[in-house]
Amino acid sequence: MLRLIAPRSRGRVIAWGLLLATAAALGVTRWIKASDHKDSALLAADHAADIADVYTFKSPVNPDNVVLVMTVSGFIPPSEASTTFFDPNVLYQWKIDNSGDAVEDLVIQAFVTGTGGHQVMHFRGPAAPAATGTTDRVVPGPETATVRVSNSEVPIVASRGGMTVFAGVRDDPFFFDLVQFKRIIAGEATSFRNPGVDTFAGFNVLAIVAEFPSSLLGGQKLGVWGTTSRVQF
Amino acid sequence: MPVTAKTLQLLPLLALLVAACEEASGPTASPRLDASVLMPQELRQEDRFGLPAIATVFIPTNLKDAYNEAPPAQDGANFKSLIVQKLIAFGQTPAAADALADALTPDIQPIDVSQPSGFLNGRKLDDDVITAELGLIFGSNAALNDDHVDANDKPFLPTFPYLAGPNVQ
Repeated sequence: MLRLIAPRSRGRVIAWGLLLATAAALGVTRWIKASDHKDSALLAADHAADIADVYTFKSPVNPDNVVLVMTVSGFIPPSEASTTFFDPNVLYQWKIDNSGDAVEDLVIQAFVTGTGGHQVMHFRGPAAPAATGTTDRVVPGPETATVRVSNSEVPIVASRGGMTVFAGVRDDPFFFDLVQFKRIIAGEATSFRNPGVDTFAGFNVLAIVAEFPSSLLGGQKLGVWGTTSRVQF
Repeated sequence: MPVTAKTLQLLPLLALLVAACEEASGPTASPRLDASVLMPQELRQEDRFGLPAIATVFIPTNLKDAYNEAPPAQDGANFKSLIVQKLIAFGQTPAAADALADALTPDIQPIDVSQPSGFLNGRKLDDDVITAELGLIFGSNAALNDDHVDANDKPFLPTFPYLAGPNVQ
């Protein structure tokens, strides 16, 4: 019954900011008002499917491992750190292309069961997807790993079969002087401040992290992207 | 048949009860947790994320939903010409615009795991991607090519899960 449209992505807000700043720098000021839209209640309701960032890097601890990070549900204030949860209707995925055609050869999937402070995050893969593209299904089990979702300072971490996983609330790792950027867009400033002020400081995200041997990904040159998918009612 | 209907009505409740019991069994609950509502479902992509921020700079508002719900393999066919147009409108030469548009499509995060990581070979937590991207757009314009926020507000952890702990009251 709910078909939520256009999840508000912080990444996209920033991206649009970049575009608008470019436009502003070029004197194309008419664009700015046209595109400076605010969140609606409907979009805010889809926060749990809203990807903030994706990170991919070799483990600093074990160079044979790769670390995948996805953050969602940006701008969680401290007052809501322990009461913001993953959505059991959302499948969180990293998709891996190891053949250079930008089509996923493998997926790593994560989804929660449970509600409130008693969620468990289930991980499956790396495994071949049931189908490529934008229609997704949970791949057959068993789970690669499971972990209880963390909602406090001490992270709950689980390992199984070479995969180490985490899911829960953390400080938003992203940093950017978005406030000054908006002033530049609005024509209220002509340059960044120095030092700048991190707009994301003090806010939290819901994070999903998986570390495992990169040999499981079927190649060394990879393309990685994150997706969120929803049950269609 | 009333019995069948009643049974069907109870099924979601049963699933919830099973889920509740399973979760109570702890963080390493068994892999038979198949009470997830996702399990039998066909799911549709709502959002995607490859390169931070910069790729969607070029997607106009009326195509944002289409972009979010599209697979990256079609980015070149669907969106490259838009990107080229915008870059040319922003003053890039056609050749430079074409080359940059090729680098931005498909919108995926490339990484060669045989090499050290760091934007644009993957993306580490501490990579200053915004300054990198501002530099790409604004070049030597010192007023706009660096936001002068160079690091996260909280130090990252040296070990898994690497992300800093939450901000709490």
